[in-house]
Amino acid sequence: MSGRRFFTNRYQELGWEYEDVKPRQAIRVNTMNAGKMATLLDRLSSIGMRLKRIPFLENGFWVDRPKFSVGATPEYLLGLYSIQEAAAQIPVTLFTQLEGKKVLDACAAPGGKTVQLADIMRGSGLIVALDVKKRRLMALSNQLERCRVKNAVVYHLDARKISQFQTNFDRILLDMPCSGNFSVDRNWFARRTIEDVKRNAARQREILSATIRALESDGEIIYATCSLEPEENELNIHWAIQNFPVQVESINCHGQEGLTKVFGKHLDSSVSKCRRIWPGLTQGFFACKLKRRSAS
Amino acid sequence: MIRPINNFAARFGITISLNENLIVNKRGQYFLLSESIKLPSIDFLYAGIYLGRSKEGDFLPSFSLLDIIAKKEANRIIVDRKTEWLFICGRDVFKRGIRRIFGSKEEDAYVLVLNSHGECLGFGRIIEDLNKRTEDPAVENMLDIGDFLRRERAL
Repeated sequence: MSGRRFFTNRYQELGWEYEDVKPRQAIRVNTMNAGKMATLLDRLSSIGMRLKRIPFLENGFWVDRPKFSVGATPEYLLGLYSIQEAAAQIPVTLFTQLEGKKVLDACAAPGGKTVQLADIMRGSGLIVALDVKKRRLMALSNQLERCRVKNAVVYHLDARKISQFQTNFDRILLDMPCSGNFSVDRNWFARRTIEDVKRNAARQREILSATIRALESDGEIIYATCSLEPEENELNIHWAIQNFPVQVESINCHGQEGLTKVFGKHLDSSVSKCRRIWPGLTQGFFACKLKRRSAS
Repeated sequence: MIRPINNFAARFGITISLNENLIVNKRGQYFLLSESIKLPSIDFLYAGIYLGRSKEGDFLPSFSLLDIIAKKEANRIIVDRKTEWLFICGRDVFKRGIRRIFGSKEEDAYVLVLNSHGECLGFGRIIEDLNKRTEDPAVENMLDIGDFLRRERAL
């Protein structure tokens, strides 16, 4: 089961009419390095970068028809900004207070969100960044050096083996390896099958299960994918709250409520607190905040 | 353990004081940790502030270390916008592109290369006395921030 018609029929059943979308390039200002925002914006304007503020993000800007590579300017190479798609900037902003916390970035490479965490944490606390692919960890290390991140430690480790650390975390970012979506992959419909989706969903449950066990009481997990498939999103969250001492927390961000009825299956009503972003203004995305219920 | 770092800083005419107890040497790579970084026993790839690495007797600094050096009264030159761009592209610095010079002007000294905003773009070695008038390259490019792009291409 695969192909454009198969998947777009599914989206229609979930309440969204397929439309071809190409997300706009976006940047995120690294406030810890950039100094005054207005000064940096003037500077970027002076080199011909036309920016438009993204209305639902504090430090995010769309780049309007760039005439040069925004990833090769001195300002980029100095770590004053990062290139990060608008929806991908959302998850890190959903945590409650990050400064001074012990944070796990469980699937961290290539590091855009790790740098964003460091930016919000202002160099305080600790970020433990993991990934399974060593080559991608080199890219992550380069990002950390470019953006002058000081409070991160990087390990080549599968998040499913997080118990090896024998420590718990206050905050956990699960930017899950997922099936992706058609808006950022021109060949997505040709490449993906429902079996891929199910395989990814199963792996996500393993990661979720292992990391919930490493979450402090009252700690928070942000679960995010760039998949549109409910198996990797709402159904996994429903499964998590049924099987672990976690609850879905309300989040205030761009997007629609999470689905509570998926292909005839009724999910826990709290799943509606998740955010589903159908492609349009941004790429497709899904985000959810889970909080571990306190031991008492 | 800190000697290669100190020796490197000395070539800019300064000394730096880093807490040696917080420096970790991992397969020739140096990392400066902070008190808040308590490492588990698992082998890490990157931690805290990356300072640079030793390779075949040479010390290759990180840009974070250059930033630390730049906070001191190190040898430095400030270059114009065009030279900034050429330097990032890996080119040497011509005398005419230098706006200001601080510290040593003598051949073989190391100088930080800064842009007009005072941001460190990398470093070079003086190859033509900066007191002299010359149309030849005056500072040899040793490392510039364009290296991040070259590393990405190499991955």
